[in-house]
Amino acid sequence: MNIQNLKEIRDQYRPKIESRQDPRPLEKGDQRIINIMICRGSGCIASAGETSPYDAFANAIEKYDLKEKAELVRTGCHGLCEKGPIVVIQPGATLYTHVQASDVEEIVQQHIINKEFVERLLFYDPVKEKHISSINNIDFYTKQTRRILSNNGLIDPMQIEEYIANDGYFALAKTLEMEKTEVIEEVKKSGLRGRGGAGFPTGVKWEFAYNAKGDQKYMVCNADEGDPGAYMNRSELEGNPHAVLEGMAIGAYAIGATKGYIYVRAEYPLAVETLETAIEQARNYGLLGKNIMGTSFDFDIELFLGSGAFVCGEETALLASIEQKRGNPRPRPPFPAIEGLFGKPTVINNVGTLANLPLILQKGADWWSEIGTESTKGTKVFSLTGNINNSGLIEVAMGTSLGEIIFDIGGGIPNGKKFKAAQLGGPSGGCVPAKYLNLPIDYESLQGIGCIMGSGALVVLDEDACMVDTARFFLEFDADESCGQCVPCRRGLPLMTHILEKITEGNGEIKDLETLKDIATCMQKTSLCALGQTAASPTLSTIRHFREEYEAHIIEKRCPAGVCAALFKTTCRNACPINQDIPTYMTLAREGKLEEAYKVIKQTNPLPLVLGRVCHHPCEEKCDRRKLDEPLAIREVKRLVADYAYENNIEYQPPKRAQRKEKIAIVGSGPAGLAAAYDLSIEGFGVTVFEALPVAGGMLAVGIPEYRLPKKLLEHDIEQIRKMGVEIRLNTRIDNIDDLFARDYKAIFLAMGAHGERRMNIPGEKLGGVFWGTEFLKDLNSGQSVDLGKKVIVVGGGNSAFDCARVARRMGAEVTILYRREKHDMPAIPEDIEAAEKEGVHIDCLSIPVEIIGNGRVEKIRCRRMELEEFDASCRRIPCDLKDSEYIIQADSLIESIGQFPETEFLSVRTTRGGKLDVDSLSLATDREGVFGGGDAVTGPLTVVDAMAHGQRAACSIRRYLDGESLQAIPTRVDPEKYHVPFAPEEEEYEEKPRVRLKEADVSVRTSTFEETLKTYSKEEAMEEAGRCLRCDAGR
Amino acid sequence: MVYVNINGKDFEAAEGSNLLDVCENNGIHIPHLCHKKGLSPVGVCRLCLVKVSGMRGLVPACSTTVATGMQVITHDEEINDLRRLNLEMLLSEHEHNCLTCESNGRCELQNLVYEFGIDQVRFPINKEIKPLDDSSEVIVRDPNKCILCGRCVRACREIACKNILGFTDRGPALALGAGLNEPLGFTECASCGACLQACPTGALTEKHARFQGRNWEFNKVRTTCPHCGGGCQMELWTKDKKVVKVYGVEEENTENKGNLCVKGRFGLDFVQSPERLKKPLIKKNGKFEEAEWDEALNLVANKFQEIKNTHGPDTLAGIASSKSTNEECYLFQKFIRTCFGTNNIDFCTRLCHTPSAVALTRAFGGGAMTNSMGLLEHADVLLVAGLNLTEMYPVFASAMKKLVLSGNLKLIIIDPRRTETAEYADIWLSPRIGTDIVWINGMLHVILNEGLYDGEFIENRTQGFENLKEIVSKYTPARVEEISGIPEAKIIEAARLYGKASRGSILYGMGVTQHIHGTDNVGGLCNLALSTGNIGKSGTGLNTIAKQNNGQGAGDMGCLPPIYPGGQPVSNPAVQEKFEKAWGVNLSPKPGITEANMLLDENTIKGLYVMGGNPMRSGPNISRIQNVLENLDFMVVQDMFLTETAKIAHVVLPACSFAEKDGTFTNTARFIQRVRKAFDPIGESKPDWKIICDLSQKMGYAMSYGHPKDIMNEIASLTPPYAGISYRRLGKGGLRWPCPQKDHPGTRYLWAETFNTPSGKGMFSPADYQPPAESPDKEYPFILTTGKDLYHLHTGSYTRNSVALFNLSPEDVLEIHPSDADRVQVKDGEEIYVRSRRGSIKINTRVTDRVPEGTVFTTLHSENIAVNALTIDCLDPMAKTPELKLCAVKLEKPA
Repeated sequence: MNIQNLKEIRDQYRPKIESRQDPRPLEKGDQRIINIMICRGSGCIASAGETSPYDAFANAIEKYDLKEKAELVRTGCHGLCEKGPIVVIQPGATLYTHVQASDVEEIVQQHIINKEFVERLLFYDPVKEKHISSINNIDFYTKQTRRILSNNGLIDPMQIEEYIANDGYFALAKTLEMEKTEVIEEVKKSGLRGRGGAGFPTGVKWEFAYNAKGDQKYMVCNADEGDPGAYMNRSELEGNPHAVLEGMAIGAYAIGATKGYIYVRAEYPLAVETLETAIEQARNYGLLGKNIMGTSFDFDIELFLGSGAFVCGEETALLASIEQKRGNPRPRPPFPAIEGLFGKPTVINNVGTLANLPLILQKGADWWSEIGTESTKGTKVFSLTGNINNSGLIEVAMGTSLGEIIFDIGGGIPNGKKFKAAQLGGPSGGCVPAKYLNLPIDYESLQGIGCIMGSGALVVLDEDACMVDTARFFLEFDADESCGQCVPCRRGLPLMTHILEKITEGNGEIKDLETLKDIATCMQKTSLCALGQTAASPTLSTIRHFREEYEAHIIEKRCPAGVCAALFKTTCRNACPINQDIPTYMTLAREGKLEEAYKVIKQTNPLPLVLGRVCHHPCEEKCDRRKLDEPLAIREVKRLVADYAYENNIEYQPPKRAQRKEKIAIVGSGPAGLAAAYDLSIEGFGVTVFEALPVAGGMLAVGIPEYRLPKKLLEHDIEQIRKMGVEIRLNTRIDNIDDLFARDYKAIFLAMGAHGERRMNIPGEKLGGVFWGTEFLKDLNSGQSVDLGKKVIVVGGGNSAFDCARVARRMGAEVTILYRREKHDMPAIPEDIEAAEKEGVHIDCLSIPVEIIGNGRVEKIRCRRMELEEFDASCRRIPCDLKDSEYIIQADSLIESIGQFPETEFLSVRTTRGGKLDVDSLSLATDREGVFGGGDAVTGPLTVVDAMAHGQRAACSIRRYLDGESLQAIPTRVDPEKYHVPFAPEEEEYEEKPRVRLKEADVSVRTSTFEETLKTYSKEEAMEEAGRCLRCDAGR
Repeated sequence: MVYVNINGKDFEAAEGSNLLDVCENNGIHIPHLCHKKGLSPVGVCRLCLVKVSGMRGLVPACSTTVATGMQVITHDEEINDLRRLNLEMLLSEHEHNCLTCESNGRCELQNLVYEFGIDQVRFPINKEIKPLDDSSEVIVRDPNKCILCGRCVRACREIACKNILGFTDRGPALALGAGLNEPLGFTECASCGACLQACPTGALTEKHARFQGRNWEFNKVRTTCPHCGGGCQMELWTKDKKVVKVYGVEEENTENKGNLCVKGRFGLDFVQSPERLKKPLIKKNGKFEEAEWDEALNLVANKFQEIKNTHGPDTLAGIASSKSTNEECYLFQKFIRTCFGTNNIDFCTRLCHTPSAVALTRAFGGGAMTNSMGLLEHADVLLVAGLNLTEMYPVFASAMKKLVLSGNLKLIIIDPRRTETAEYADIWLSPRIGTDIVWINGMLHVILNEGLYDGEFIENRTQGFENLKEIVSKYTPARVEEISGIPEAKIIEAARLYGKASRGSILYGMGVTQHIHGTDNVGGLCNLALSTGNIGKSGTGLNTIAKQNNGQGAGDMGCLPPIYPGGQPVSNPAVQEKFEKAWGVNLSPKPGITEANMLLDENTIKGLYVMGGNPMRSGPNISRIQNVLENLDFMVVQDMFLTETAKIAHVVLPACSFAEKDGTFTNTARFIQRVRKAFDPIGESKPDWKIICDLSQKMGYAMSYGHPKDIMNEIASLTPPYAGISYRRLGKGGLRWPCPQKDHPGTRYLWAETFNTPSGKGMFSPADYQPPAESPDKEYPFILTTGKDLYHLHTGSYTRNSVALFNLSPEDVLEIHPSDADRVQVKDGEEIYVRSRRGSIKINTRVTDRVPEGTVFTTLHSENIAVNALTIDCLDPMAKTPELKLCAVKLEKPA
């Protein structure tokens, strides 16, 4: 083989490759040869059924006699593994997803023969809400920079000629004409850094080995990919093996090695098979072996199958393993480049590093380093896994932000869950929390936040991931995989694991965090190899970025994500801010024992009629039934139970504990205040609630429209609280805390809510027809008439904005919601958004009003389009003005509903910058003794149930305060009565069964009435729905 | 030399040394647990981490090579905290119970914990208790005290070259395992204890020392091992007149560098054996009765005097022992020569190694190992003939295996049996027993034929080469194959390997010497060395390995019929005059008779004084010896135990052990080292030198020495090679003779410039093949050959009295090839009669293909199996050494 032969092969096969890159879609009568590119990657093979799509296509081609017209090509991984098996039809780059053998006939008939897409199998973009017919329009691909993956999906990795056709081995040919030092200089100039994770400059490593004395030198490829969730190397080897061989040969030439090893995991049989074929083919062409390409350069490669020890990915352990010794790392120096395999100078490069070399040598360091950041050039392949829509194999330019990877390429988080963190670098890495979504990825920036690039495993975690448990998982993994020879790693790992186990079991202490850090630091600084030095990174990183989650486990004995099973009975109850005993009342409900169910609810919930309607039900998000079909309709069952009690005059006041002489003042009668009053009353205290408004209930009374929460029901719930002995003084505004103490109140709970209205501060806000959201609702609720006119614009995306919009709709207006981000960014409950849209509310996203125009009254609104840029801490992109995008809309009125803030300036307690009460997060104590704060006054607008949770917590703290107990303890609230419902799980097969839907009035009715239009379950319906409960608490 | 700066001070260090050693050598203490001098560094305990300029993070001092310009910080607050934390983590791994720990007081972990003042561990301590492994006879493994430093693993691999110990599992489950993760006692562990000496904690301890004393209660004395001729330096830890623990001395200037074998480490409890003789015994009416010293000595003196007076001095004889100190051997021969007035003095080397002395003296002018053990490091080829190194000199064998495994030494093993060392050999030749001269001549044939000889050396430094050429020309490889059974190709291969060596060394043992032509055999090996110039340089030579601890010294001290100490002939009048003057008596110029004559020839002598020998086990054809000895007028045996020989004596004098006396031993490589008293003699036993002095006094010749050092001073004054020796000079180390002046550093190898022959040249002494005295025939179809095993030495008089050694190898067994076993229909482990023309024994069999077909093999240390009842009493004509290595036997199954 010489360069001339190489060119001949290239020229012979090139047209074939080019025909696969023709983007023009197939048309009727098209005579172009069709290439059916079928992924043979492990992922696609695993997701195929018994018959492989390849065989099915082969049969179909036979059957329809298409041999002349269509060619089947097995390719490497296309990357979009989530949607496998993947088949791409060229020309036209049509990507079909989830192709099973049974789909093949349809594709052949419709696409190959009739040149029409099979719509249902095309890639579906959930954001754009449509099917996409060309790879070139799929964000997953367009946002990537596929360099070393460029052959994946394009060529058949088992055919060396196809690799050559795409300029393969020309880099080697060029290299062999260069001086060794020139080659090394070129690599140094490119700035290529080790893709195995540590990022050591490849050229410098080569230079060491080049300068090292040795009668024999070795070039070793590290393909011992072992990080959980990592399969970059596997796919690179399966899809483009010759790039690695060529890279090795280039390196071997540069350092003077004649023998190479590829240390590949035996668990990668397909990669092994591909490599074996590739090596054999390269040898046959004289691209490996003696006198390569007619020069004096000899180099051959041997495969060494690793037996699955993670630590063998560490270079010195890897070498020991090749030497047939126990795969233990050894201290460095001496570095392998000086004293490596069998004591000889050895370069060990990662698969990804090697695959870049042909590009650098062929196209030059300047071209190669055009992309990337200051310190890190080129691209990086990641395997994107975890809670992500498009899990798969991707390649991005260095400097791409994590947010782009996750949300643009990865398509975001499935099931509408929130992004929590990305775990990079596997067990050696750390997690990147949402606030760093804009961080451009390179070695240094990741290090700066306690993370590493790692080999490229990128695991996305959503809100359901417990970070303590995640840290524990990686520690356990490392403990299993540590070689155990050095003390800090061998001992540190089980000791840390033990502490984390303690924490996840609720036995942690806050000082454990310091001990964890001490051990982690010791491991980092004193472990022998990188495994130990980095094993504590996930723990350190989660402590650093999610300390509050650790504290929740340690102090409150609570796992917010509902993962650490020892800390709760069921995930639903764990998710409930007021700790409702859901499984118990579900059991009672399914048996029709509604009165008892009511009592169970009332143990912790003083407002069942309210919460049965307006709760945002975090319990349902965590319901295990979700994994089977749909979550249980917990709120709706509760609603029926509460309504049943209401309608049947069933009352229940929980028993009080011993009467106390102390009196307690509560400022505000919203959900926080009422919940506190309820609990304090149970504790036996005398409670007075002071309410500035003429009605009790705070925002419940004035901020929620009648059709969602009928006034009489709210009043009924409040009446029940009054019956506990709680005094509610309306129209009583408290301006001075001292007065209350003077009136012998021993403790005060400030829960006056957030009634300040945030404004946009744009011209024209003073015009008539401009309203503030809650004020608007308040006015309506207090019976005032409001003139909206015909066209109403509501600004905002929260629940309040939707309430306004839907009220306006009921008032007969045409309503448009302007929102500055996108719909999926809206904080309102999705079902409310859906309902509003059904009721005819128009939603206009990426838009804000910039001026209200009118003469005395609103006439027009000048709006501006927004575009989304970087991510903020809530994982949403920040809207920015889109230049020259202003437009004017007609409007009769405008309701601004962009948020509220508490008004606290009159109180002599410390507040935060936004005027919110500054309280201790655990006890809710303010800086003033005996004064506690909670609800919206502390946090800004909260959901009802979260506000109630504050009330409960404050009640607990007040009781402690008055009893002289420490406030820094777990808020323990004991149910007034104990309900134990024996439950013997029946031997029943749980079959899929959708939840029982609430019956809802027709849209036309809904938009014309303020009556509640959503009908409560019937008793039977509730029993049926409650019967869907899986009773996860059984046996616990 | 390199220059490093440590903690702000400059230090000089040898190139290539590791930082930890440099610090320790300069008094800078760095905590460490996994590192031990002499073992390869692994850097796993992470306690010796230091900061080195230009290196990222902390680096382990133990695996960092010093370089000029290095700036090192060994201690600061951060390092200290990390060390402490690691120690605490280590402590939390097990519940370390120091209260009954055998290592309490010498535990390195304990020391560090104390140093760091760790009184509480902040981590939960693992309370899981794993069972002890006490399956080994000598070592207890306590996994609960193991800190997984791997020192034992490396000691087993790098010192013992056994690879029995290793790690199992990984991560927090990492554990120490033996063999295929089985109990240690089930493995091929050689019980050398290198592991436990390396262990920094109480994870590996001496089984028989458990609860025998705490470390600060022991008296610790450095001395020389009394077992084989290796001369290992050891520290005895004794308490209440018991040797409880033994540690090898880890110093560069020792032969063993800390290593010991099972006998040295675990086989010294014979000292406190209840079988020890505590009072003199006098046989009255055929039975021994205890007597007072005075009575016994009077009786002995009178009886010997009576015989001397009646029958003449030459009817008396003395047999000295290779086990006694130099001082005692010297006094013994002085006693025989002065009090008895005869040169009838010999010692047990007559039965094993005299052919060496004779042949080497003939060829080079002196009969000792030409080189020393340590110098083997300079050899590139080693030829080992008739010597089972691993069983015989385990410590030396390990050092050799290490060299072989490192690839720096090629090994040729010549042994009919496939010994353990044969497994390490590049070439293993298995000749028919008794054909040594044939393969030797065959190798010479090839060497001469292929021009592999050293012409210049032959020209300048030898005589008789023509003679050699003529004889070896007949030994073509084909003929060699025909006689010896060694394939032609292998002979050629071996000859080329040795012939082409730049430094070829020869080691040989009794497989070569115990033949009727043993002297010819050794002469042949001399020819090999001379013809290739492999003598007179380090890494070369002809190295006899003496079987016993002081085999060399006893000869040096003149316990031989024709010579005074230092090889000075009794027949030389000037020498005679010198000794007469020194000793103040008239001396006989007539060389005495050999031990073989004493034991085998009836009516030559009337009275015999045996010090420490046991010819009733070590001699050939025992029934004949018994007959001779029982017919003596008077026999005195001086020994620690009532040996088979002592049992037929008239008087037995209780001698004390090496642990109860001072003195010196000269090891097989001419290395003179101290023996030191650890405690007073047990019972009424006395050191041999004292007994001799007392007896001499009774016989009217005053010998009065306050201490053995006075005897050594006399030796030095009369023995030219020892002239430079004194106890003060021996100090803690030793000196290698010749050491002719008080400022002479000793001699590492002999014959560098010239030989000690009359002409000053090396003498070729070629010989032709002669068949052995007795060949197998129809009636006695098998060849019996004997050797030894790892656990026993001498005639077992020490080792059988060691609990551990006895348990490890309680009885001799007969090795028999599977096809022979089929032929005689015996199964592995079954008893069988072995009969020769001279006697018969009953013995258990071990069926193994280690022995060649037609040959059976056994050892000779059982009390109740007198293997030497079978052997033949034909002697080498020159050395008078019997052909103990070969006789014809038949095998019979018990009816």
